[in-house]
Amino acid sequence: MAKDLRVTRIEDLPGPKSKEELEEMKMPYEEYCRQQFDVGNEFSKPQALDGIRWLSTTMYIFTPHSVANIAEMGAEVIKIEMPRMGDPMRHTSPFNECYLYPLHDSRPMTGAGMGFLGANDSEYYITMDYHLDEMKEAFYRMVKMSDGLTECYRPGTFDRWKQSYRYVQELNPRFIYVWGGGFGYGPKCFGGSYDILGQSHAGLGSVTGFHETFGGHCAKHSNWCIDWYSGTQITFGMLAALHWRRKTGLGTMIEFSQVQAATRCLGYAAPLYGRFGIVRQRWGNWDTQLCAHGIILCGKSDFPDAKNPQDKYDARYAMVSAFQDEDFKELCAVTGNQQLYDKYKATKDRVEGEAQVEIYAALEKWAEDKSRSEVVKILQDAGLLAEPVMNDREVYESEHFRQRGSIRWIDDPTYGDVLVQSAYSSGLMAKTPRRQTWIWRTVGADNVKIYHEMLGYPMSKVEEWYEKAWI
Amino acid sequence: MAEKRDIEINSRADTMDLMNPEIRPWPVTPPPTAEWVMENTYAKRKAEDFGKWSEDNLRFEYAFAKPEALQGKRFLCAGIWRLGNKFCTALLAEAGAEVINIEPPGGDPLRKLTPFGREEYMLEDKMTGEKCGLDFLHEMRGQKSVTLNLETEEGQAIFKALAAHCDAVIDEMPPGYMDNLGIGYRDLSELYPSLIYCNIAVRGTWGPYKDKLSKFGQWTLEPFGGCANAFVHNTGFPQDQLPRKSGGSPTRSGVWFADYVAGEQAANTILAAMYWRDELGGTGQFCEVTGAESQLDILDFDIGWYGFNGSIKARTGGWDPNLNQYAWNPCRDGYMMIGGQTDRLWYRIGMCIERDMPQFGRLIHEDPILKEMGARNALEMLTKTYTMTARWLRNINRIEAEEKLMEYEIAAGPLLFIDEVAEFPHFKYRPWVATIDTDHYGTILYSVPPNNYQMRTPHRVKSMGRPTGFDTYEILQKYAGVGQTKVNELKGKGVI
Repeated sequence: MAKDLRVTRIEDLPGPKSKEELEEMKMPYEEYCRQQFDVGNEFSKPQALDGIRWLSTTMYIFTPHSVANIAEMGAEVIKIEMPRMGDPMRHTSPFNECYLYPLHDSRPMTGAGMGFLGANDSEYYITMDYHLDEMKEAFYRMVKMSDGLTECYRPGTFDRWKQSYRYVQELNPRFIYVWGGGFGYGPKCFGGSYDILGQSHAGLGSVTGFHETFGGHCAKHSNWCIDWYSGTQITFGMLAALHWRRKTGLGTMIEFSQVQAATRCLGYAAPLYGRFGIVRQRWGNWDTQLCAHGIILCGKSDFPDAKNPQDKYDARYAMVSAFQDEDFKELCAVTGNQQLYDKYKATKDRVEGEAQVEIYAALEKWAEDKSRSEVVKILQDAGLLAEPVMNDREVYESEHFRQRGSIRWIDDPTYGDVLVQSAYSSGLMAKTPRRQTWIWRTVGADNVKIYHEMLGYPMSKVEEWYEKAWI
Repeated sequence: MAEKRDIEINSRADTMDLMNPEIRPWPVTPPPTAEWVMENTYAKRKAEDFGKWSEDNLRFEYAFAKPEALQGKRFLCAGIWRLGNKFCTALLAEAGAEVINIEPPGGDPLRKLTPFGREEYMLEDKMTGEKCGLDFLHEMRGQKSVTLNLETEEGQAIFKALAAHCDAVIDEMPPGYMDNLGIGYRDLSELYPSLIYCNIAVRGTWGPYKDKLSKFGQWTLEPFGGCANAFVHNTGFPQDQLPRKSGGSPTRSGVWFADYVAGEQAANTILAAMYWRDELGGTGQFCEVTGAESQLDILDFDIGWYGFNGSIKARTGGWDPNLNQYAWNPCRDGYMMIGGQTDRLWYRIGMCIERDMPQFGRLIHEDPILKEMGARNALEMLTKTYTMTARWLRNINRIEAEEKLMEYEIAAGPLLFIDEVAEFPHFKYRPWVATIDTDHYGTILYSVPPNNYQMRTPHRVKSMGRPTGFDTYEILQKYAGVGQTKVNELKGKGVI
């Protein structure tokens, strides 16, 4: 019914419409955020990508993570692994120490290593030896029923197996096809790649670590961060392609080089080199563009009596930041280094390399007889920014991450209580929150669901394929 | 190839123009030709057809002849100091969206940052002479610059008008800042229920350990995020490999890495929220992505490991506790990365090294523990393997090591610095750094977006950062109906 312009309705007026809304408007920001994000009730809300189905013929971390991102947001993802063996990442674990076993099955070889954690959560798991001609039809059936696929094989492999974009776009023009790998078309097209190759080959390692002047070496980022970070950028490509497909009905193919993604995050390195020929170097725990803004070593550990050496010997580092003039002045005053402020009043002067060496040396001298928490407290009490460098235990115990739900124990249907740090931490959404339904499932756990129920193959066929190790 | 010149260097000033792109254009030596690649790469794998198809459909050079994925989408960004919001909006802009970047009238303070405070490495706007730092120029790519003082009523009114045209607002101001001004999600969602609103922060805008300002108003910047999620603690060399302060300390990433991760997850969050709004839910929503947490998401299994058996991860330098071999170790002229964990690859690495150093065969191949793939990851086994590998490497250069290892088809590569990256044949062939001839700052070498290689909707870089407020007149006229006379008047009042 058309609106009667003579009538003023309360819902057309700006401002709160009900008592609840009025309260919401008055609520402190902090409380409002808690109410909106409503941590812990994720499963009572819808999911952003509900209805999307994606195939994941991926291994390791990089390409799996690109798809796990959308699985956490509600897409139905079917992960396809090699029969019997599964993803090689299932066999990877720190110092070969940590394997998770299904609660119902603790036979040898049924465990999966911690290395597999976080990269493939909330997906369905099937197996298929898809290079066999016999399995081609099942593969094509899945292509016709899905929105896209992400694969990580050497370039040309899927083409040889007649399942590259050249072939599948004929079956499903809406299909979005992603190849993620090391290099992409070009002279090193067939080069294999790892996270660490991205870090080293593309320049990230050259800017991380202590400079050789201080006796340091190029340092590897502790984690497979280039794998994960590049995977997330693939997700961006996939989502953008989905938006374009809503408009045009057409899919696309994305060829994504992981090694290149490492060059992308080098900030001023490329333009500085291109214009001035200056090669960006590593600069340890300090910042090339801000001072003071760095990590300092304190004299005493916060936990001198702890058993774990990480607590006992390494709870000694604090991040100190006072780069604006007033902050730096206060920092110098608090640490008894007035002469430094007199010498380096201007931002420009204290960011110079020699100045930084002098400033941080003076700060570490001051911190020599103090513990990390003393250093942090003194600076925070002076109104400055300083925080401890926390280890895994402290992060686990952090009330902040607990309240925000980014680290939590989940009751996994196959593995029981598992501590997870992924999915929930990658971003809060008030109406369609990310969630983790399970950490992963066993190899081929959903073969019947997919081959029999979705693709319509009789159970006898599914069993036959299983016997032959085709699935 | 640039011509050789005699030069004399007496001061830093003499070095300034040695590398100017007009004098020494990138690349210094030409990349391999398509014919060379066909013959030496695709043909050798009998993949000529596939290679040709890939190049015909995915090439970087064809991007501008293809449509853009997010054409018609529009985003409003209020964020300064950090790269999270800049990277997020850079991704959106590269994919074809229009991004309006709001800066305070003096410009984003990030514009003033330059390595070691050296102003000579900032770029000067050809027209106004205004200087801008390279991090900012590089990450503000594709976005439009509008200046607006959000603390004034007029500024807020204009901000609200701009938001009416946008799919999402990106907010990277301190906790509660926008909300206090009456232009946060609470207020904008009343006006525009379909608007998506995404906070970006280091540790968060709410919660017991949220972002702080110093008493003088200084912001929390990276690497505070990495310090809060154990990334810094876990990175770097252990003190028994290097003394503390000489690398044997927890080590931050050389770049503001958590900012980049937050930026890309924010972009994903926004696109997913838009998909839900358009396809299913019909309304916008409130989102928040932080550097500390989005990086926590990608710290492998580190926290989960603590939950498993109380292990607190330690630093392992260039090594990886999960894989053998998978490390970079020093060689004569730098560092060489070698990887290969499965028996097939692991023994091939050994066979390669054994040719020069027969001990490797005896000590490594014949060790019963090293024969088993899982057992190879024990710490003593890593030490043993890498000690021998580094002994081999110390006598040879990166290029020699790469050639030797490539004969065995091992995933190996030298650790490259940016000048080497820019000239590496594969990298300049694709290319993954490229030059753009900009209207304000001359020719700039930039990192190419990895989503640039697509069949239908390649992402692309259309412009680098802009001078402060360059697009103010156009955007305010177009989306807020504020004409130039009014803009000038507001400028006088300090609103713009």
